[in-house]
Amino acid sequence: MKINKSADLARRAFLKRGSMLGAAGFAAPWALNLAAIGEAAAQTATDYKALVCVFLYGGNDHGNTLVPYDATNYAAYRTIRANLATPQANLAATLLTPATALPSGMQLAMAPQLASLKSLFDQGKLAVQLNVGPLIVPTTVAQYRSGSVPLPPKLFSHNDQQSIWQSSRPEGSITGWGGRIGDLFLGGNSTSALTCMSVTGNAVYLAGQTAVQYQVSTSGAVAVRGVKSSLYGSAACAAELRTLITNSSSHSLENEYAVVTRRSLDTEALVTSAVAAAPVFTTVFNTSNSLAMQLQMVAKMIAARGTLGVTRQVFLVSMSGFDLHDNLLSQHPVLLTSVNEALASFYGATVELGIANNVTTFTASDFGRTLTSNGGGSDHGWGGHHVVIGGAVQGGQFYGSAPAIAVNGPDDVGQGRLLPTTSVDQYAATLAAWFGVADSSMATIVPNIGNFTTRNLGFV
Amino acid sequence: MAILEKETPATEASDSDDPQSSQAAVAAGVAASLAIASCGGGSGGGSSGSGGSGSSGVTDAQASRFLSQAALSARDNIWLLQLVGYEGWLNQQFTTPPSGSSWDWLVSQGYNAETYRYSNSSSDYVIWYRLITSPDQLRQRIALALSEYFVVSVSGISTQWSQFAMAAYWDMLCENAFGNFRQLLEAVTLNPAMGLYLNTKGNQKEDVATGRAPDENYAREVMQLFTIGLLELNNDGTVKTNGSGQPIETYNQDTITNLARVFTGWDLNTGIAGPTATTQFVMPMQLIASRHSALAATFLGTTIPAGTDGVTALKIALDTLFNHPNVGPFFGRQMIQRLVTSNPSPAYVARVATAFNNNGLGVRGDMQAVIRAILLDPEARSDDALALPTGGKLREPMLRFIQWARTFNATSAAGTWKIYDLSDPASRLAQSPLRSPSVFNYFRPGYTPPNTAIASAGLVAPEFQITNEPTVAGYLNFMQSVIANGIADVKPDYTTELSLAGDPTALVKQINLLLAANQVSATTEAGIIAAVASISASTPAGQLNRVRAAILLVMACPEYLVQK
Repeated sequence: MKINKSADLARRAFLKRGSMLGAAGFAAPWALNLAAIGEAAAQTATDYKALVCVFLYGGNDHGNTLVPYDATNYAAYRTIRANLATPQANLAATLLTPATALPSGMQLAMAPQLASLKSLFDQGKLAVQLNVGPLIVPTTVAQYRSGSVPLPPKLFSHNDQQSIWQSSRPEGSITGWGGRIGDLFLGGNSTSALTCMSVTGNAVYLAGQTAVQYQVSTSGAVAVRGVKSSLYGSAACAAELRTLITNSSSHSLENEYAVVTRRSLDTEALVTSAVAAAPVFTTVFNTSNSLAMQLQMVAKMIAARGTLGVTRQVFLVSMSGFDLHDNLLSQHPVLLTSVNEALASFYGATVELGIANNVTTFTASDFGRTLTSNGGGSDHGWGGHHVVIGGAVQGGQFYGSAPAIAVNGPDDVGQGRLLPTTSVDQYAATLAAWFGVADSSMATIVPNIGNFTTRNLGFV
Repeated sequence: MAILEKETPATEASDSDDPQSSQAAVAAGVAASLAIASCGGGSGGGSSGSGGSGSSGVTDAQASRFLSQAALSARDNIWLLQLVGYEGWLNQQFTTPPSGSSWDWLVSQGYNAETYRYSNSSSDYVIWYRLITSPDQLRQRIALALSEYFVVSVSGISTQWSQFAMAAYWDMLCENAFGNFRQLLEAVTLNPAMGLYLNTKGNQKEDVATGRAPDENYAREVMQLFTIGLLELNNDGTVKTNGSGQPIETYNQDTITNLARVFTGWDLNTGIAGPTATTQFVMPMQLIASRHSALAATFLGTTIPAGTDGVTALKIALDTLFNHPNVGPFFGRQMIQRLVTSNPSPAYVARVATAFNNNGLGVRGDMQAVIRAILLDPEARSDDALALPTGGKLREPMLRFIQWARTFNATSAAGTWKIYDLSDPASRLAQSPLRSPSVFNYFRPGYTPPNTAIASAGLVAPEFQITNEPTVAGYLNFMQSVIANGIADVKPDYTTELSLAGDPTALVKQINLLLAANQVSATTEAGIIAAVASISASTPAGQLNRVRAAILLVMACPEYLVQK
């Protein structure tokens, strides 16, 4: 398979988007023209940028990730969370002191395990986005209850909300906003196959109209040993193996398996040699921390960007285990410790590589959770809090609205499930704008952005 | 590569074969199977073909194909299938009792010793042992499919002696595989491993004073994943729509809040009471009445009155879920996907759902009727389906490995079967029994690989969710090693194949039949034969390498990997 066909891929992506918009019937001709302008601008980008999504699978408990600290709100939190509450004294060291204080004296502290992230916040390299989640239009609790506005489908369901976060649509969606961003930048990458990269398994986030996810393991690309020189001592068998696994087929499943295999074979040597030749960094990544190992590989890929001929890359890494209906008190701190360590190492590596201003990392998750306790943990929610990290980030600040700490309060749809006050589309659009997506193309990236007044939240 | 060459070379065209007719006298389940046969429309002459066939008229390739869907290996089963026919084979399997207790095996291996209190590797050993050695192949195959539907993962349960919890879960699935879905659902619900995994164990009623609410985990997943799914379905599995053409969601958060009350009050019988106390992991969880919610629960058109005792409430809830019209198509479609094809036609789903709804004798949820309907359906049996450019399914990596082990008589010299978790994606299989990363299994029934002809055609291919650049390479590397060296002390016995090493054509054809039901095309087969023949067979080492190469080359090619 040829992998250096970026211009062709980008053109096809553009044509596909055009026909898709046309077929959907909601695109006026001018939208196509504006999309074309965005495309042209993107293709001229010469600097490097990487957007790194850290997906926390299972639904992170936002209530114990960012904890109210001032006396009034801590008391409310303590009452609602009951046995799940983090002791206030444990939060003093991670109390956040933003440039602009929150209204009404509200103070928020990070979980005690997030000390390195607190430090990045203090350095202005980490921003906190409050109460973000899927929305189709701005929505009030009254509108939610009466069903008077369109709501994201299949709320509170893991797989569907993961998919909506990643792609704006529930499970079954076949393009995600990371991939749709990738479509716009295939043309700028001489190795276009490496535009959308996962270190964590298949995810719709990275699939574009044309862009295809390329996966590496935490140790890099994996070579097929049997095709190298000989298979069980036979060069003929090695050659036959290569033929068999790469042949096209008229059967769609057989053919697709061969397509994946060809992509694996064709790109492995390039990736392996480029990573081996890339500048090394001394930042330590904990080898027993899966998220850290994934991010170390992202850092290695970024270090190899020159050899790989890429100027824009979208990465996905993840961590699972956040669905803590039970054992929240014992397990959530363990997970957050890993998150803290991995994100800090990764930011450190980008600084060491001199690329920190060109790499923006953000967290995402299925949903936030209930603020109330079920005895051992919390249940599925909706909005949650997330962090954005990087040299370009306007950090040290909160973005969005801090939710009221209350059951049956103005932001609660039940048991402290937050109705988001910022949409994933706004969050994604802000990141996409930093990456270089023209505002005129934004509706092709996040389809509901037109329903929101603020298209750029300003955190990066 | 011409897809049309995939047909078994000597098989004559046969639009439909009707093995049932020649086996109609088989005692068990006759009424049910006839009802299914009649709605499946199977009639007409029997099949024919070369390669030997018994009284059933089933060819070697047809037998091997059936076994690839219904069993774990065709080895030593083709002749039997030809003798008794598809339904006769099913009936034999249905009446074969479970082949042993996984729990007892763990004890016999000494995993109740104190040193294994926090070690769960033996839960892998015991499940591999069952899957590779148990003679009740259909039961094991169905149990594996059920374990991907009623998912429990040892990685996700925190308890001491978790290997015993998993062994008990596996034994429970095996015991219920041929029973009734209603009993299976209850056994799953009250199984301690499931209780630990989805938090029914220890779940307590609401507490107004502290604001504590019941844990919602099981209430949500028992609906979304185990019974009815998120959207209302027609009997053929297609999505119902409302007047505006929109799908209709089956439940909302309020439904879950109510149903969650039903699953309060349950806990292990005695807590953790030592490794072999059956009270903790084998016996169903018990109700602690004082922890059960006394509130009324209204869901799916049913109201459980306030103050109903917990056992009665559970019965009402499970009956309500079981009787929901979604269950037949929702469960049936996923079982078809695990056994036969990723994209069954709506008519096929409807035939299976109809068998679920009524086995012909007025019984709903008869698993044997469902299994028969899936495996005897024309879409599973007709040779025509072999030529469809979208038919079949990608074989699950763990099934490929089990098939290899069984086909080549792999045995553990010490009887310890120390095969670990094989789910590492870069160096092993990206999949391992009872090791799913979440309750959503390794892949979703609706997964469509993006940017593919599969997606363009509106089709799904669940197993492609674990198919990517590292996993395709990892699988090949893993099998290359396993075929040569075995794994742990589990070693293959290639005696039969070595006897064919001097005749590469016979060798490759034999492997094609056993592993791929002759679905590796003549063209591909010729290439493999030529490559194998290029290895000198003048030494024992050369003969062994011929066998190894023949096996790996067959197991590497997409025509094998996609089970038609």
